[in-house]
Order: sequence, then structure tokens, then C-alpha cells
Amino acid sequence: MLTRAEMLVYYDFAGGRVLPDRLTQPTHGHYRHYAARMLEIYHGGAGRTRQELHRAVAAVFAAETDCPQRRIAAFMKLLDDVSTYERDRRGRAVRLRQQVFRLAARHHPLVRHPDRLFESSEATIKARIASRLGRSWHEIDRDLFADVIEFHRLLRFDGYASPAALLSRYNVAQVQASLYDASRMTIWARDDFKTILRYAKLARLMHTITRLEDGRYRIRLDGPTSIMRQTRRYGVNMARFLPALIACRDWQMHALLQPRLGSRLLALELSSGDGLTSHLPPQDAFDSQVEQAFAQRWGDAPREGWTLMREDEILHRGQKTFLPDFVFQHEDGRRVLMEIVGFWTPEYLAAKLQTLREFADSPILLAVAASIAAPPSDLPPNTLFYKTALRWQDVLERLKEQPWSDGSDKSDGSDGSDGSDQPAHSTGR
Amino acid sequence: MRHSAKRVSLSFSRGTLVLEGLARRELPAALEPLGIWDARLPAWRGDAMHYDQVVQIAEQAGLPIEDGVPEWQTIHWPQVQLHTLREEQQQAVRNWTSQGKGYLVMPTGTGKTEVALTIMAQRMLSTLVVAPVRDLMYQWHRRILTGLGYDAGVIGDNVYRVCPISVTTYDSAYLHMDRLGNRFGLVVFDECHHLPGQQRRDAARMSAAPYRLGLTATPERSDNRHVDLTWLIGPLVYDLPLADVTGRSLARYEVVRIPVYLSDAEQARYNQLSDVVRRYMHARRRENPKYCWQDVCADTARTPEARAALKAYRARQAIEDRAREKLRVLEDLFRLHQGEPCLVFTGSNAMAREVSRRFLVPCLLSHCGKKERREVLEGLGTGRYPVLVANQVLDEGVDLPEVKVAVVIGGSSSTRQAKQRLGRILRRSGNLPARLYEIVCADTKDVQRSRRRRSSDAYTGAKTLRKEAPRC
Repeated sequence: MLTRAEMLVYYDFAGGRVLPDRLTQPTHGHYRHYAARMLEIYHGGAGRTRQELHRAVAAVFAAETDCPQRRIAAFMKLLDDVSTYERDRRGRAVRLRQQVFRLAARHHPLVRHPDRLFESSEATIKARIASRLGRSWHEIDRDLFADVIEFHRLLRFDGYASPAALLSRYNVAQVQASLYDASRMTIWARDDFKTILRYAKLARLMHTITRLEDGRYRIRLDGPTSIMRQTRRYGVNMARFLPALIACRDWQMHALLQPRLGSRLLALELSSGDGLTSHLPPQDAFDSQVEQAFAQRWGDAPREGWTLMREDEILHRGQKTFLPDFVFQHEDGRRVLMEIVGFWTPEYLAAKLQTLREFADSPILLAVAASIAAPPSDLPPNTLFYKTALRWQDVLERLKEQPWSDGSDKSDGSDGSDGSDQPAHSTGR
Repeated sequence: MRHSAKRVSLSFSRGTLVLEGLARRELPAALEPLGIWDARLPAWRGDAMHYDQVVQIAEQAGLPIEDGVPEWQTIHWPQVQLHTLREEQQQAVRNWTSQGKGYLVMPTGTGKTEVALTIMAQRMLSTLVVAPVRDLMYQWHRRILTGLGYDAGVIGDNVYRVCPISVTTYDSAYLHMDRLGNRFGLVVFDECHHLPGQQRRDAARMSAAPYRLGLTATPERSDNRHVDLTWLIGPLVYDLPLADVTGRSLARYEVVRIPVYLSDAEQARYNQLSDVVRRYMHARRRENPKYCWQDVCADTARTPEARAALKAYRARQAIEDRAREKLRVLEDLFRLHQGEPCLVFTGSNAMAREVSRRFLVPCLLSHCGKKERREVLEGLGTGRYPVLVANQVLDEGVDLPEVKVAVVIGGSSSTRQAKQRLGRILRRSGNLPARLYEIVCADTKDVQRSRRRRSSDAYTGAKTLRKEAPRC
């Protein structure tokens, strides 16, 4: 991630928008050429100091009239991020300094023009120290501050696959950095909302979920103190979360940013159609092979009126959420949720059951893999054990025999009352 | 009462307090100004700093709560070895103790740390000490070890070792207080004028500590936010003016300014760069009379001209900063004060290294590890090293060996920095006055900065003092 020092963002106060720097205009065509030259510098840069590499990168843009310093600094950061520098771990420079300074101390001050009182000439003493250490002064002078970050030498560059990849990473990095100023983020999503929510939780963000009439979910993200004041405290969490969001499909994002203390709020808008590409791999459609295999065996067609749908439902109460693996929808309107627990440890299963208890009034079928560990005694009645593979016949059997209540009164519609920030509760009491 | 049957709990949640088990309408009215209803949970939520007040309100409302907040504990100090406090220090301890919350204003060198250690020793509670920079953080670690016999935890400088007694920096406290806020019953904010920053104040807000102590020599901030110390820490409980201690526990000092001139080549380049800046500003101001330097920085993203102007400005600063002549004058000062330990402050890391390479004297910069810092600082004290060069790292409160001579080469113009830097040489030692040299480029911005520095009250104090008390 970039730091604030490399962040380059345009504030359109009249339009109330934030526009992170992005190199996709037709006028930026020649940046591909610059990117190629930067990659060349780093690929051939082993042994050179960070300062030398940075100067070489800056020189690439010498004749460019349209290139803010921050853009150059951002490229340097992105290049350094995938570089390994020699770090003088064993403190050679520290020891050298100690030796040199101790030897020089008794000749202090080293003067340019010695006289009778001060006879230690700078040149003489430096030459004497050099011969004492058995190296040339030039070498000593070069190594004296080798541990300073600017003077670290490049060992290896594990760079970007192509100039285009570097530019693409740059574009994402600037959007990400702009989010440091964000106080709140709203996401509209359809298929991938489960993944989005999971990553938002990993980024330690709090959510407010609303199911919209068009079937999409609206997820508002912020942090504990956000309700008390405008705070940019969670901006870094949102920035961290962004690459995961970009790897998802079919979403829109709106963030509120406060560039300066007391300044008005500006909006950053983004969607899956904006052409940003994440360096994270695309999301797997299925969490596990068990689920994938089961979905294939069940098939797309209804079985005795029950159609299998994937992750179409979310249960949430406060900050607790439950995202079942499958939803079975019957022709008569009944809905049953199914959660598959493949490999499990007693702790994992206990935590899962705790979550399920929160949503005990929803129709949930639990499929648990048989294990050598003894299952807990407090399993809910609608639990189904399976051995190696979960058979569709067994599931259908359960669906048929259980007196599943009509889930329609518990469906997760919009709260409808006032359209405010109140979270929608998918399960009523 | 309706709520008496319910289970009501108060917990610490990421820097805030959460009161669960009451419906919104059942909340005591007194809670109103301290927090807000959080529909996301749903529960009442407020800043952790209101912890003792919330508990009090619940008691007054006859509301039995399960209090899961405090995770701090009683501390039994392994070995307390503190100096006997001077009268003014004892007064500071008494004033703070009567409140349990508040900050002390005491000039550098008057033993703020001793006062804080005494308070910690008496309070016997899990304590977090927040210092501005990591040097100071490690210094607190050492002082706690020698004074109280406790090996404190360290949070910061890529270390995360939390103990019931821990030391940290403001930046780390901002980052981690949402996890640590309920583990310490006493928080000490050293150089607490740093606390009211827009982000850093979270270090106080997210802490549930009922006992808070702030220490500073210079509470005032140019943005006036120091008024917030009153609610972030507590009221000003003790103020020891500089004049009360100078001459007793501090040395007298005088300021000597030495103008240097740029070489012909430097001057020519300097004028050329100044021209670039001036022409640019002139052109912009014709369009917009209020155009100022901040606007230039903002415009660098948009126009090549603004970038050129900024580049010229920085190059010009570098010339001032690194003028060859300054090194020559420094050589003269070293000759003059041979045999006396001497501190040199520079305006940039590059200049600090340049001085270090020219005279082969140690410099303390941010790349120096903990061990090297200590070796160098001790070396100056024992006379192993004649000189120590530093940029910013020594700006505040780092315990230094007695030094009577300091030289400032360039540097920022903020009032506080000047005071802090002066504080470095204000050390009790004999009758000889300390001396601060300023090497400034004549006919440049440097002179303006020096004037501003001298206008700060630390310098004003110095001048009057020199008149009243003749040199010995």
C-alpha cells in the first residue's frame, strides 16, 4: 500500500467528488513506455543503492511536463514493494562508525588548515584511519552509512509481469490510498455479497446490511466510533479491504471522504465495471469441494419441488451474521437454509453452533461430516451426518420429513419502516 | 423498576464502552452527553474515556451492571529506588494526587520523570507511558527499570510486548489503544502537547483509565488545541514557570548568532532559484491576491510551473542548509570549545551526515538502533566522543549528558523546537553559563527563521536573565 506521502488525488469540490489519479486517459499512452523503462532500471539494478535507483526513476520523467512528484514517488514505492534490499542486518555499518569515530575522537577537531594549536588535519587523520583499518578512505566513506535506508543496495527485484501490470497496480494503489481519508463506505452487491462481507469482517469493519427490493444487498461499512463523529480512523481498514472488493463481481461502491479536517465531505464512486484489476486471485465459486460436488449432484432442476440456490440468503442480527451455503426454495414458497460443515474441530463446531443458536428461529438444516471426534451433545434436531460425500437423497429426505415453517415472515426484506440506518433483521421475535 | 430484572453489561469494545441489556428509552438521562445509541448492535456506545463517569451514573441510577471493562491490576513494584523529590516536585505530586487526573507544566530539566515515577510508585496500578518518539520510549523503559525495578513492556518500534507496565509512542498508542484501552488504570502522557492532534487524541479517548497524568514543558500549541488537554487528560494541576528554576536547577545560557555568507557560486544559484519562486508567486498573485504557499503545494499535482517552483524552493532551502561556509564556522567553534562536549543540531538528515563525515563525529539519526544510540549518548557523557550531531531525534526530553555548548545549523522555525533545543543545554553544572550558537545564512530566509526563533519566550527569558544576573 502507498503511504499518504505518495497519494495523488484530485478534489473536485464543486462536483463534490474525489478522483484518484489514474493513468488510463488517451494522453497517458506514453506511460506504458515509462513503465517499461522503470522496470528495466529495477531489473538491471542489483547492487545499486535505493537512492541511485530512485534518481534513475526520477530521470525517466525529466522531460515529462505532466507528472506530479507524488506520481513518481508512488512508482518508486510500488517498485520497492516488490524488491529485496540488502539491509546490513549484522550491523557492519554500526561497527565501522564506532571504530572510525573512536579513532578520530582524540584528534578532534579535524581541521582544514592545521596550525600549532590544532594540528590534526582532516586529510591526514582520514588517511591514517584508513591505513589502520586496511581499506581505502573512499571505501570507508561509502560504507559508513550503508545502513541508512537510502543507501541500501538492491539484491533482487521480483517485479511486475509487464509495464501494463505496473500501471494497473498503480491505478488500484491510488484508489486504495484515497480511502485513507474515508469515513464511511457503502457497497451494493448481488452474487458476491457473501465474499464482500467476509472480507469486510476480516478488515475489522462494522456493517449495516439492508436487502433492497431489486434483490441486491446494501452493505454500509464503518467502525465503532463512526457513529459518534466523523473519523478517518477506519480509512486504512477500508483501503486494506479494497483489493478483495475489486476481485469480486457485480458491485458498486460509494465512499465518503474528508480530505482535510473540517473540509466538506467528498464522494468516491467505483464499480466492478470500472476496469480496475485486483492482484488477488478471483473468488472461488465454492468454499469447498463437498459443496461443489453436492451442487452438481443436485443439479439445476427442482427435485420434488425443491430448487437449490446458492448463497442467496443472509441472516443477520446486530453484528452477527450467518451466510448459509445453500438455500432450498420450494414451489409453495417455503425456504430452507442448509449449512455444510466439512472437516471440523470441536472448537469450530462449537462456534458454529453458537452462531446457529442466534438464528434458531430460522429453518436451518445442518449437514455435518462424520469425524473421529465425538460430536457435541447439543446438536440441533435438524442435523444430518454424512460420511465421505453428502448424498442428495438424504437431504431431500430431511426436507420432506421436517415440518419446515413458512419462512416468508422471516424473509430478509428491507425494513420498510423508515428507510433509515436501522439494520434489517432477517429473523423476527 | 423495569430494568432491574435484566442483565445489563458494560464492556470495552475497540476503544469504546458498550452498555448492553437496556432499551434505548431505559437509558439513564445522564448518559446522554457521553455517548450515543448504536443501532448497529443495538446498544448504547460511548468513548472509553468516560468509563468512571458511566459507572458513577449507573450507581446513581440504581442500575446494577456487570462491569467487564477493567483489566488493569494492582502492581507490586519489585524495588523502588527513587531520588528524594525537591519541594516543587513534591508539590506537583500532591496537586496531581488530589485530583487523580491532570497535567503538569514543568520546564525541561526539572525532573518531570521523577515526579511521574513517584506517582506511579504510589498509585500501584497497571500503567501505560506514552512518549513522543521511540528514544524517549526506551528512556522511560530504562527509568522504570532503575527507579521501580520493573522490566516494562514495549509497544512500538516494531515490538509489541504488552505488560501491566508498558511504554509506547503516540503513534503506536493511536494505532493500538482500541485494543489496550482497558488494560491500564493509569496513563502517563509525556510531552503531552502532542496529544491533542486530530488523530492522536484517540490515544486518550480510547483509554478507560480513570487516572491520567500529562507532563509537558510547553503546553501551548499554535493551533490552540491545548485547551483540549483539560478533557483529554484533566485540568492543569501544577505550573512551574521557567524563571522559578533557572539558576537553581538549570544553567544560565546565552545565545550567540553567527551570520555566514554564501559563496559566490552558491549565492548566484540561490538568487536564480529565488527568482523562479518569486516570478511564479507574482504571476499567481496577479490572478488571485490571496494565493499562498499552501496553494503552490496543492497545485503541484496540476501544473508543471508549480512543480518547478516547489523544486526551486527546495533546492534553495538545501543551499541554505548545506552552505559550505557553515562547516567552516563549525570548525571554528570546535576549535574554540575544544575539550567541552558539544551538540550540533542540523536542519536535515543529509546535513547531519555531512557534518558527521567531515569531522568524523557520531550522529544520531532515525536509522540508528537502540544500542548505537545508547553507546553514542553515553560516549558523549564519558568524553569518548567530543561532539554529537543530530537532526530531530533529540528535539524532546531525551536524557543527555551535561552539555554546555550547542550549535544550531538551520532548522525549522517553530517556537517549540527552539525551546526544546535550548532545553538540551539547560543543565545544572557549575557556574558557567551555557551557550547556544546559531549559524545562519545572511540575506536569506534563514535569518527570518532565526528571528522568529528568538521571539519565543525561551529566548526572551534568556535576554532578561543576562541583564539581571551578571556572568560569573
